[in-house]
Formats: sequence, C-alpha cells, structure tokens
Amino acid sequence: MQSTTKESFSASAGKRKRQEIGDKSKKRRKSGGDEGSDLKTQLKQFEAEIFESRKHYNKIAALLELAQKNNEDNSTAIAASETLCRVFVRLLAMGNLVKRREASEKDGIVTEWLRERLADFREVLLRMFDNEKLALPALLLAMSLLKVEAQHLDDRDEAVFPRYFFTKIIYSVVQSPVDQLREVCAEKFIDEYDDIRFYTFEAIAEFLKDRANDLDETVRTIIFDLLLNIDQIPSSNDDLNTFYIEPPSTKKKHPLRSLSQHKKQAQDAWLALMQLGLSKDQRKKILGVMSTSIAPWFTKPELLMDFLTDCYNAGGSISLLALSGVFYLIQERNLDYPEFYTKLYSLIDADMLHSKHRSRFFRLLDTFLGSSHLPAVMVASFIKKLARLSLNAPPSAIVAIVPWFYNLFKKHPLTTFMMHRVPRTPEEKQQMEEEGVEDPFLAWERDPMETRAIESSLWEVVQLQGHWHPNVATIAKIISEQFTKQGYNIEDFLDHSYGSLFEAEMGKEVKKAPVVEFMIPKRVFTKVAEEEGREGGKDGLVVGLWDFGSA
Amino acid sequence: MAGSQLKRLKASLKDQGIIGPQKSKKQKRQNAQDARASNEKRIQRHEALASIREQFNPFQFKTNARGPKFEVTTNKPVSSREAMGISGRPGLTKAMGEQRRRETLLVEMQRRNKVGGLIDRRFGEDDPNMSLEDKMIERYTREQQRSHKKHSAFDLEDDELMGGLTHMGKPLFDDDDAPKFLKDDFEEDVGSGDESDGSQTERRALKRQRLEEALEAVGEQEQEDGQPERKKTKKEIYDEIIAKSKLHKELRQEAKEEDNELRAEIDEAMRDLRPLLFDRIKPSTKDDKPSLVIAGKDQAALDREYDIQVKRMAADKRAAPTDKTKTEEEQAVEEANRLKKLEEDRLKRMRGEKVSDDEQESDDEGKQGGDDDFDAMDIEDVDEFGLGQGIGGKATKYRPTATELGFDDEDDFLIDDDLVASGSELEFDSDDEGEESGEDDESGSGSEEDSDDDEFTKGLLTEAEAKEGIFRLPTNTNGSDENGVPYTFPCPQTHDEILEIFKGIDVTQLPVATQRIRALYHPKLASENKERLGNFVQALVRHVNYLGNQYQPTWAASLEGLTRHIHSLAKSFPIEVAKGYRSIIQEMEQSRPLALTVGDLLTLAGVGTTFPTSDHFHQVVTPAMIVIARYLGQKIPQNLSDYATGSFLSILALQYQQFSKRYVPEVMNFSLNILCALSPSPKAFTPNTIGFFPIHDPPAGTRLPKTLPADTPPARKLNFSDCSTTNAPSLQLKLSLLETTISLLSTASTLWSQLPSFTETFSPAPPLLHSLPKSLSPSIQSLNQHLTRLLQISKLARRPLELHHHRPLAIRTYVPKFEDSFDPNKHYDPDRERAEMAKLKAEHKRERKGALRELRKDNAFMARENLRVKKEKDAAYEKKYKRLVAEIQGTEGQAANAYEREKAARRKKR
Repeated sequence: MQSTTKESFSASAGKRKRQEIGDKSKKRRKSGGDEGSDLKTQLKQFEAEIFESRKHYNKIAALLELAQKNNEDNSTAIAASETLCRVFVRLLAMGNLVKRREASEKDGIVTEWLRERLADFREVLLRMFDNEKLALPALLLAMSLLKVEAQHLDDRDEAVFPRYFFTKIIYSVVQSPVDQLREVCAEKFIDEYDDIRFYTFEAIAEFLKDRANDLDETVRTIIFDLLLNIDQIPSSNDDLNTFYIEPPSTKKKHPLRSLSQHKKQAQDAWLALMQLGLSKDQRKKILGVMSTSIAPWFTKPELLMDFLTDCYNAGGSISLLALSGVFYLIQERNLDYPEFYTKLYSLIDADMLHSKHRSRFFRLLDTFLGSSHLPAVMVASFIKKLARLSLNAPPSAIVAIVPWFYNLFKKHPLTTFMMHRVPRTPEEKQQMEEEGVEDPFLAWERDPMETRAIESSLWEVVQLQGHWHPNVATIAKIISEQFTKQGYNIEDFLDHSYGSLFEAEMGKEVKKAPVVEFMIPKRVFTKVAEEEGREGGKDGLVVGLWDFGSA
Repeated sequence: MAGSQLKRLKASLKDQGIIGPQKSKKQKRQNAQDARASNEKRIQRHEALASIREQFNPFQFKTNARGPKFEVTTNKPVSSREAMGISGRPGLTKAMGEQRRRETLLVEMQRRNKVGGLIDRRFGEDDPNMSLEDKMIERYTREQQRSHKKHSAFDLEDDELMGGLTHMGKPLFDDDDAPKFLKDDFEEDVGSGDESDGSQTERRALKRQRLEEALEAVGEQEQEDGQPERKKTKKEIYDEIIAKSKLHKELRQEAKEEDNELRAEIDEAMRDLRPLLFDRIKPSTKDDKPSLVIAGKDQAALDREYDIQVKRMAADKRAAPTDKTKTEEEQAVEEANRLKKLEEDRLKRMRGEKVSDDEQESDDEGKQGGDDDFDAMDIEDVDEFGLGQGIGGKATKYRPTATELGFDDEDDFLIDDDLVASGSELEFDSDDEGEESGEDDESGSGSEEDSDDDEFTKGLLTEAEAKEGIFRLPTNTNGSDENGVPYTFPCPQTHDEILEIFKGIDVTQLPVATQRIRALYHPKLASENKERLGNFVQALVRHVNYLGNQYQPTWAASLEGLTRHIHSLAKSFPIEVAKGYRSIIQEMEQSRPLALTVGDLLTLAGVGTTFPTSDHFHQVVTPAMIVIARYLGQKIPQNLSDYATGSFLSILALQYQQFSKRYVPEVMNFSLNILCALSPSPKAFTPNTIGFFPIHDPPAGTRLPKTLPADTPPARKLNFSDCSTTNAPSLQLKLSLLETTISLLSTASTLWSQLPSFTETFSPAPPLLHSLPKSLSPSIQSLNQHLTRLLQISKLARRPLELHHHRPLAIRTYVPKFEDSFDPNKHYDPDRERAEMAKLKAEHKRERKGALRELRKDNAFMARENLRVKKEKDAAYEKKYKRLVAEIQGTEGQAANAYEREKAARRKKR
C-alpha cells in the first residue's frame, strides 16, 4: 500500500516535471543554448557524486542554492528540488540522518549537518508554495518527503507522523495565493486519507488559535472553504482505514483509529473558525449545510448552540436558515429555547412568503405545529397571520398555505370558528347590522397567544377564492367545502413558482378551439371619437389610463 | 307393513300367488299341464320373484337416513322415489360398473403386453341387406369425405359421419354424445389402440361409463315409475333439431333445383319469347333515327349528351322552403335572446362551470372540476387542483365558433368593402376613424345605433355582393392603389415572409393590406386557403409583436386595425390564433420574464381583447395572466421605465378582471410599491409597519421632491416611450406615474370593493397617501376620500364568516339485498368472478373425487380379476395335478394289481 502510493506520487510528480522541463527545454532550444541538458547532466552528476561518497555532501548545499532560485528560474528550481528530494529520500532510507549513540563524533556532526540541510530543503519547498507554477510540484515533493521522513527520520520500527512538517505545510497551503494548490491538496490528500484529514483539522485549529498569524478576511474565507469541502464524514471506527502514513498498529487506542478523536479535531477547527466571526454570506452557507455536513462532525453539538441562537435571533433569512439547526438541537440535545413559538411567529413577516427559503420554512413549520397539543389560540394566530400575508403573496405561496390551513383545522377543531361563526344573540346580530364588524385580529402583536386571531374570521382566504389563477381559486375553495378529507399532503403543494405554474399551463397542446370574445371591440388602442362617445361609446380602461398615441 | 322381515316376505309371496294354500293333486296336475302348455306363467313368476327380491334387498336403494334435507312444497307430482327419499341404487350401479369394466378394462388387461392386432374397417360385412352397388356407393362417399375436410366443425347440417377433429386418424371427441350406438366401434378402438393411447382411451371410457350409468339409472328409474311422458334428453332434442334442419336443407335444395330447371326451360324458350317481349320497342326506334347513326359515331355523342343532362339534373337545386322574412321586432327579440345566451355562457365560464351546449365533454370535466367531488379517502391532492404536470386541468369550455353558429363571414363584407370600393373610399387612413367608417357604412347605417352590436355579424345580408366582389378581384388591376398598397399579395405563411411582403408598405397601411390578403385567400375561394390563412394569422400575431417593439405613436390606429383583424380571424381560426399568442407568451416567459418589451405589452393587450378574460380558465388568457403577474410580483424595478411597464401591466390586469372582478395581489403589491418609491420621505415606511407587502428599495433618484418647482409640466398619461430605459428620469414622468398609480388604485378599489377582505387589502394605501404632499396632485386627496368611504362601507358590510352551513353528511348505508326466489342450493355471490371460481372449484373437486373413486374401483376390479384368474389357474393346476396323481395312482394300482395277479398266478402256478 505504502509503496504503491509512493510510487504513484513520485511518478506523477516526475511526469509533471518532465512535461514542464520539456516545455522549457523546447524554448531553450529555440533560443539556441542547450542549457537544459547541461543542467540535467549537472544535476545527475551531483546526485551521483553525493551517493558516491560523503565527501561530496557539500553538493547538497549547492543544490539548495539552485533550488532557491525559484524566482528567476522555475525549471531549475524544480529540477534541483526534485534531485534534492531524491537525494534525501535515499539518504533517509539508508539511515544516514539517524542519530545514533554509538556513532562517532564526526559522524554525528555529519548527521547534524544533513539534518539542518533537510530543514533548509523543507523551507525551500514551503516557500515554493507561493509561486503559481512551482506550488503543485512542491506540494507533491513535500508530501512524498513527508512520507519518507515519517518512516526513516528516527531509528524506529514504526512510522511517526512528522507533525511539525505537516503543520507547516498546511500553514503554507492556507496562506498561499494559489487556489489550485488547495484544490489539489484537498482532493488528493485530505479527502483521500483519514490521517491527513485528522492532522489538517489539528493544524487548522492551531493556525486559527495562533494569534501571531495574520487572520484577515481572505485567509478566513480560504479556511472556511477548505473546511466546507471536507464533507466525507466517516460513520464508524471501521471506516478509518485509509492512511497515508500507517499509524502504529500495536497500539489499539491510537487517536487516528478513533472516530471520536477525528470528530474532536474537526469540532475544534470549526469552533476556532466560528469564534473568529463570520460574514453574512458565510453564515448562510454554514447554516445551509449545518445539519448535513457540520453538525455530524460535532461530538458535542451543544457547542453550536450559541452560534445557532445568535443566527436565529439575527432575523431575516438567516433566521429562517438557522431554524433547522435550532430544531435539530431542540430535538436531539434537549435545547430549551425560551419563547420558541413567539420567535417563530415573528419570523412570519411580509417577506416570508416571497422568500426563496419559503418551502424549507414551511416544512419546518409543519413539523413545529404538527402537535395536536398546542393551544388553539396560538395555532389560530399562525393561521390568521399567514392568511393576512397571503393577500399580498404570490400564487405559489397561497397554494402551499391553504392546504396547510386545512390540516390545521382538522387537527385543532377549535380554530374552525375562524371559518364559521354564527352570531348567537339577537343583540349581537343587531349590533352587527348597525356597526359592521371590525377584524379583532391584532396583526402587529408579537405574542401569538395575544393576537385574538381565534375571534377573527378568514376573510382573506375567501377573497382568494376569487384569485385570478384558476387553480389557486379552486384550492382556496377547499375551506368552504365540507371537510371530508383526512388531510392534504403538504409536500405536494410546496415547490411551485410562477415558472412551474406557467409550465403546467403550457404543457398542454391546444386541441379544442379556445373561446373567442364574441364582440369585436371598435376601439382597442385608440380613443373613442367624440360622436361615438355621444352615442354611448366608452374608453376602455387601458385607453383611459395609457396614451397609445394617435395617427 | 308390520312384522318381521320373514313375515313380510311370506305375505308378499302370498300376494303374488307364488305360494299359497296347499293345492290338491288335481290342481297340481292342471297347473303342470298349463305350465307345459305355455311358458308364460313361469316367466311371470320369475318377474314377480325378481321384484320381490329387489324389494327386500336392503342395499337396493340408497336413502337419506334423515329423510329429505329440506321440506319442499311443490305443485309438481311427487314421484315415489322422491317421496321415499331414494337418492341412488348402489346395487344396480355397481352391477353396471362391473359390467362396464368387464367390457373395457378386462379386455384391456387381457390385451396387455400383447402387440399387433387387426382393425376391422370393413363395412356392410355383417349386413346382408347391402347390395354390391350400395357398398360401392358407400365406399365412394367415404373416400370423398376423407379427401374433403373443409367443413365447418359446428355446422349442424353437416353429416355427423364426417367427424370432428382427429388425432392420429382417430376422432378426438368421439362418441361422447352417442355412446350407445358406437359402442362397438369403441371396443374395436380399444382393441387396436397402442400403449400410449391406452390411458387416454381409458379415461374417456371411464367418463363415458359414468355418463352411461347415470343415463341408464335415470332411464330405468323413470321406466319403473311408469310415467309415460318421458322427458326428452338433450341428446334427443339435438337429434331432432339436426334432423329438422336437414329436412329443411333438403327442401331448399329441392326448391332450388326446381327453379333451375324452370330457368333452363325458359332459357331454351327464349328465342320464341323474344319477339313477343320486344315487339313494340323495336319499330319505334327504327322510326326515330336511322340505325346507322345510332350504331356509328353519333351514338357516343348522344350518350355523352345524355350523361351531361343527367348530371345537370342531379346537380339541380331542389326546391327548399325559404326562410320567412322576419319582422323587425322578431329580429330584435332573436338578437336579444342570442346576446342573453352569450352572456349566460360567459357567466358560466367565469364561474368555471360547464357551458350547456357541450355535454359530450362534460364527463372528463367532472374529474378536473375537482372541488365538488371530494372523496374522503381520495389521496390525489395535486391532480385535483391541476397544479402539477397535468395542469390546465380545467378543460376549456369549448364554445362553437362564430362560423359554426352561422354568424360567419363578417369577412365577406369586410372584403367587399375594399374591393368593391373605389380608391376614394380607401382613404380612411387620413381620417382617424380608421377602417371603422368603411365597415360601418357598409354594414348599414342602421346598425350603428346599437353600439354594442357586433358590426361584423350583421353583414350577412350583403354576402351576395361580397361574393361578386371576390369574384371580380382576379380581373382587377395587378398594380397598387394610390397609397402604394398592391392589390394582390402572395399569402405569407411565416413571419419572415410577412416581413418580406410588407417591406415596402407603410405601417399605417397594413390593415388595408391584411384586408386584401384576407379577401384574396378567402376560404371559400380555394380549399387550401383555410390552411394558408391559418398560418397567415399566426404570423400576423407575431408581426404585431414585432411592430410593437418599434412602436411609433402614429401606429396606434394601424395596430388596432391589425389586432381587430386578428380578432375577426380568430373566429374562424381560433386554434391558430391561440397557438400564435401562446408561442409568443411562451417566449416571454422563457427568455424575458422580467424584461417585457413594448411588443409584449401590446400582445398581452391583444390577448385581453381577443379572448374572454373573465373565464375561469382559458388556454391563452391564463398563461398571459401568469406572465403579467410574474412581472408585477417578481420585478424589482431598476429605473422609472420598469415602473412604467409595471403600470401598464397593472392596468391590463385590471382590464382583464373587469368583468370577473378577480383579485390580483400582484397589482396591489406593485402599485403600493410605486407609491412607496415615489414618496418624498424615504424613511416613512419600513416593511411590516403599514402592510404585509414586500417593499423594494427604489433606485436612486426615484423619489419626488417635497415641493414641486413652479415650472413643472403637469402630469400626463404614460405612453410606451416611457417604457424604454434610455429616457432620463424626468419630474414629469414621475408625476405621471404617480397620477396613473392613483387612478389605478382608484379603479382597483372600485372594482374590488365587494371583496370580503377589502379592508385588509386597501388599508395600507391611506397612510401611504398621507405621506405624499398634497401639493403633488389634487387626485391624492380625492383618492383618499374615496378609499375612506369604501373602507367604511366595507367595514359596515362585513360579517363573520359562515362558510359551513352544509347539510350534515349522512353515514353511508347499504340497503340489504333480498332475493325473490331464494334457492338454498344456489350460490348468490355478487362477485361474478369469485362465483365462477367457486363453481369451477366445486366442479374440479367433484371430478377429482369421481376420478379417484373410479380408479379405486378399477383397482379393486383388477385385483379381483387377477385373483379370479389366479384361482382359475390354480384350480386348473390342481385339477391337472390330481388327474395326474390319479392317473399315476391308477397306473400304479394297475401295476400293483397286475403284480398281485402275477404273484397270485405264480403262486397258483406253484
């Protein structure tokens, strides 16, 4: 497993390099010199010499020099760093970098020196991350070096994950201006390997907590996107089986093998990010995926409580979005949200029925008001408020709320007084005849228990029975029919829009001849002439209010 | 009959005279002599004994131990058997079964493991009556029958000898119906059948056997009962039917033969008869024309002439009763009735009901109506309302087009107006009345008084003239009139063609050109014109949209003319016009739902005049209304032109709902938003303080100033140039918008004043109006007063809802079903399929039991038979053995005797 991945990386890295070098060399060849081949042979020679004898170890320093020239000469830098990588991989594999007690002082010095050079090389590689062209090969080289280091840097039987190095890699990745780098990193490593993901979370959390780092908006956005992209949540300990560097198998309890440890790392990273504060768009994004890809990472979802309640109290569409998260907490974690229904009631405002999160909200609302143990007064408030809103709502919203009313009426028979209220005493009747009826509903009242909606009537829905859209009118009629149906499936009515209503109308071919207005009007766009006017001709509404111009 | 069995036997024997008091010797002798003289007595005695034996055999009858199952009272004569409750004769059936088995199974058993044999297919061998000739005829017929098998299997008149289907040369359904007659054949068959056939024939044999047993049992029993009028069996009835039909066939054939003979006779005598028959005709023709001419070329000419004459006569119009000329009052009444009916239909459509004159479509509408037949357990919510894919559900109420109603062809006189007219009459473009004048003149000045009348429909009187005009057209000059409009056009089929053809014509002249095209390609002139005009009108709809996009104020009359032309064509081509409009509406919705062009606005206005907008559902109006509502509901205005477009659409929406007074929330939202946007004080309203409509932030520079500069031009009507984005936002435009919106709200409030929730709908308007400075427009104040008044009225008129004064729903009941003539033996399963299944199952069970019983009996029989054979064999062996032993003993004895004798002899010798 290990060897194959290693091979594949080195192979892919090599390919990339070869290609790039090829490009360069073509250019060079055009310009005349065959520097490329010179460089190659030189590098090869260096490599061979280094392996030949320790005497030539100084060539490593030379190579480092070459590799550092990343600003001027990309291909040289890449070739040099590739050579260096190969050199270090081999040296590591031979154990030349391992400090041994029994080794002589001279050897110790050499080892020390080599280790310093290795650290230099790491630095060089990390610096390359900022360069657009070098970033990708540098990442691949760094990752392969990481692997070899894990196995051979210390004289141990089992690999140790070089955290110090990886943390730095992640820091550089996060801070690098190259977007592609992050994509590749996420796609090839973080999503692929459980241990890489684990340490990435750790590194990010550390990075965010480190006050020394410059955490401006761009970096936060980058981290936010990076975290958002990590969405493959393992479901059990057994799922954790793909490792980039195999963790010690002897210890059963290694944190890498424990799902809760993974979750803890992710939770830390997310919390660290959230504590920094998020922009409105980021909040919306987080709330959108909260229940699917963030909350499952949390071992203690209660920690999200503050964030969610903050969002919920923020108002507007953020509140709508936070609703599902709050509901999740209430349901799963027994969150006690004071005056939940009052808050819910306040969410129903003028924009609610026009919002694009309407159907999402209705699904939740259906759940919240699904209990038959709720006070009828409150349910009536919800019904009446929505009915009031429906007077200014698009047809698709009306279509959704009326069947929902029906279900509520079925569930809370007390509320049916809103449809049918017979005056009982003659005095009452008399008063009604004389003064008419004022709607007792208090539309601006915030507390759903105090709106007096249950004393009101649903005139609004009756008005919608004369809605211009034939189907909406038909649906609105269900509340004046007999309630013989058990209930409507709300889901069928939720996802409509002007577009879908239109499509439904146009879906059918015209087969039967449509009715044509029998009378052809004398005037369509022009005004009625004077003499015609005297004879009783009248301007149409459009002509009356609009100037079509005249001949 | 009391007493023991023995006593009873004695008594019955005595009754029959078999035993009696002891006879004297003399009597005995006499008796003996009699008996010797005739055997009769002895036979009598036998019979009597048999009957007594039968009577006293307790196993002879199978009776129901507890008597008959049901007490039945009947008027049918009760047979003794029924009275005794005898349900079978086991002894008899057993004997018969035994007999049958002996005939079939035994034979088969004996044939077992034997190969070969002979089939006797000879005929007449045992029949001494058949002569040689008869035999030859018989052989011939059989051969014929064998080669000729094309007869119907179910033909009753066929000879049954032909047989039905066969397998391996043997009939499949042989002799089931006639077992008695073909028994012998069957036995032969069994004899000849090979092994594989054996089981099949055996089964058949068993079935037959059972059938026969039953038959015989019935027959015998009935004979016994001694009832003379024996019921005919089915078989006998069929036999009779077949015999009868054969008789009839024969009679028919005889009659036919006789006819043939007669015909032949007459044929032969024809030569003699001919002169008698044609005696008179011949001389006369000879007289009229010389035969030469008739035979020659003239004959053909004559024929042709004759044919032509005949055709002409056929084509002649038959006399038909003419319509009575109606008096003016009658006409007025008729017209009034017609209008009344049309209005009734419109109202019905508005309510979404079916229009009376199309019952044939009512059944599929019932489903779509949705709201009136809720079933408690009906789950298909969505389909009920036609929201989903199947929307458009409310089937359109098909109304006969004007053409079908007989009001056709306003076209004709429209046409002749131009064609007959000289150039002078075509100048109507100069007067702003447009083509109206021409039409009105033409349709008679009298009709002008009634402005509601459709002037097109009144032109029927002048149809004849119109036709003349049409026919004159082709001879007309091919050039163009003084306005540069050619007299003839090719009929444009697509919009591109229209663009090509109308290229040189001024837009104001287009109605004339259209009129000419309609005249040239009038459907009455050629059959393909109908299709052409259909395509033309679709293209014309598109052209109006196209022209609208380059709208010029001077084009109003011309576009109006075109729209009216489309309307008039829509009466003859409703589907085409609807398709034309729908395709444009579809484009709007798909490509520019929130950026409608002037052309789109004109098209939507055209829809509003062409089609009845008050209908509950309409294939064109409903989509158009969705487009309007979508713009009003979803457009967030970016500049004043968007507000202007929205204003036009609001006006149009109100126009659409003029009759039906349906509520359009989007109009309210948009109008109130305009007021918010124009209001000088920006912070006057935030959402959720004055009403529940969403407030969009207006683009910069929309708001009116608090006080108007002195030189502000007064508000004017909006026009289409305000809908283009290029205009700078002028103060005048803002004022005009305000003015239009105020009149719009005023119209809307009047239109919707009866709505139950009027208060909630319009209550946001007064505070908005208050926030506008009164100096901006005088109409603000008036609208405010108007609204206050209406709100007051609506408050007074409001009552709590009482929607559910429904009749209480009855609990569903089911009337029990009584059977008049209930028979406990019959099954009354209302589920036909289940009943049939039960019947089949019962039959299967019966058959199975019968088969099992038969098989068991067969087994027993075979075992018995085998035992018998074995016994016989053993007995024979025993006999033989004994014989041999006896023989040997005899021989031995002889030998011993001989020895003894010899010994004795020797001893004697000695």
